[in-house]
Amino acid sequence: MMPPWLASGFIYASALALTAGGITLLYITTRTFNFAHASMATWGFYVAYTGTALYGGSPYRYFPLVFLFGSLLGVICYFGLNRPLLRRQAAEITLMMSTLGYDLILLSGIQMYCDYLTYTHKLFARRVTMSVYDFQLGGTSAASIILPLIAIAFLTALHFFLVKTKFGVAMRATIENPVLAGASGINADAVYLASWVIGGGMASLGGAFMAMAMTGTPVIGMMSIPFMFAGAILGGLYSLYGGILGGFVVGLAEYGGVYYLATRVGPWVLGYRMAIPLLIMALTLLVFPRGLAGVAWRSVPRAVIGRLRGVGT
Amino acid sequence: MLTIRGLHAGYGKLHVLFGIDVEVPSGGITVVVGPNGAGKTTLLSTIMGTATAFQGEVLFEGIPITGLPPHEVARHGISYVPQMKNVFADLSVLENLQMAGYMLPRDETQAKASQMLDMFPVLRRFVHRKAGTLSGGERRMLAIAMGLMKKPKLMLLDELSTDLAPIVAKKVITEVARLRNELGMTILLVEQMAKRALEIGDTAYLLVSGEIRFAGGARDLLHDPELARLYLGVKEA
Repeated sequence: MMPPWLASGFIYASALALTAGGITLLYITTRTFNFAHASMATWGFYVAYTGTALYGGSPYRYFPLVFLFGSLLGVICYFGLNRPLLRRQAAEITLMMSTLGYDLILLSGIQMYCDYLTYTHKLFARRVTMSVYDFQLGGTSAASIILPLIAIAFLTALHFFLVKTKFGVAMRATIENPVLAGASGINADAVYLASWVIGGGMASLGGAFMAMAMTGTPVIGMMSIPFMFAGAILGGLYSLYGGILGGFVVGLAEYGGVYYLATRVGPWVLGYRMAIPLLIMALTLLVFPRGLAGVAWRSVPRAVIGRLRGVGT
Repeated sequence: MLTIRGLHAGYGKLHVLFGIDVEVPSGGITVVVGPNGAGKTTLLSTIMGTATAFQGEVLFEGIPITGLPPHEVARHGISYVPQMKNVFADLSVLENLQMAGYMLPRDETQAKASQMLDMFPVLRRFVHRKAGTLSGGERRMLAIAMGLMKKPKLMLLDELSTDLAPIVAKKVITEVARLRNELGMTILLVEQMAKRALEIGDTAYLLVSGEIRFAGGARDLLHDPELARLYLGVKEA
């Protein structure tokens, strides 16, 4: 049986892998740091919650809908804000601030939607424990096994899309060199739109994941956005796979670190839990300034062995 | 084939070209030479739609293409080989060719890619290698092959010989002449190695500080002692 901190850690880490991956994807395609990831994630949780509370069944069956809803929010952001700004060759800071505005709009929408759920359906929508809808699997919560598997399956599919399909390769080509991609006849607009569809979907799916490990509130995404960014930055910002790995590391580090310190140092550490993943990010960047994706992983074993041998002799 | 009339262009507020007129006749090599910062690359970027045309027009086979986004310009049958970053370094050689033929139907892309590998046999050995690992000369060959992939009517080539060893640069320029002689390709070539480019060129323009200083036959420019000495680094005999 998995210890509870590890079970929750796996869920949260899978959620951050998806959201940090989405942030990275949007950044490398459209140069946009998407702050709206926060409320897109929260909307993902509310879609899953609405389905489960009103129509029954396990939360997992609503995940495809969650993804589609996130994609829709991404598409709205692209056509409403991002594309007009990209066409005017807006600076990165402008692109980023525009998503902050979009996030506030989405957050207001969430608050209204919570009121709707409360008054019309008599649901206690502002503090939701989604884990009560979960079931047990081998003595542990099913989410801690199913969610990492869903994340792995989704990311594997994404990898094959980027490597094996013509449009996927075109996306990689546009990420690397938009001018040459345009000259080759690849429509950059279509690539940016696809990133918002995928990135938005990943944000909402991540939000629905998150709520399986922690209390669902209208600010669940907003409370986690620093860690989504921490994951993306830890991954080096320029690599989708780096971002995914970074998110996973940050998520697991938060739960693992808190558990370790709370049992060794004392429960007062819990009050500082948010500092732990950020501290780990800062320390990692001090050692690997270009993030996890910037490390030449293939040469690591040789370097380590070389150093050990050096010590031995 | 390509007509540029009274073109003023640049980037944002930066004005680079001042009322340029250029005519690229079909089936020949038109060479644009000039010193650094004259606006040669901006001219090509404006045709491709990555720099902004403030005034004037660009006509391709009589159809205005001024200000169209790059992928639409490409669809008209114009291919562009940029000076820097002219291959996708993270993609394999084969993927590079496939992307260059993005607009072609799938089976045609396959056929065209293997035709390119026959034409540039040096690339065949590296089909599955990332383009970023190729040498400068091989990369330039791949860039030309990519330019040819979509069966263009017009090729825009930007400073093909930059950063190459002289012997490799010469080979690349010879390759350009071959495109015209064997495939009847129309080419607009921007080049800093003015002498060599003018030797293979048919028509020539001298661009200085965003204005045309000479328009006429390539050999005439090469043999104009004053202009050749001032701008092209050609020493008098």
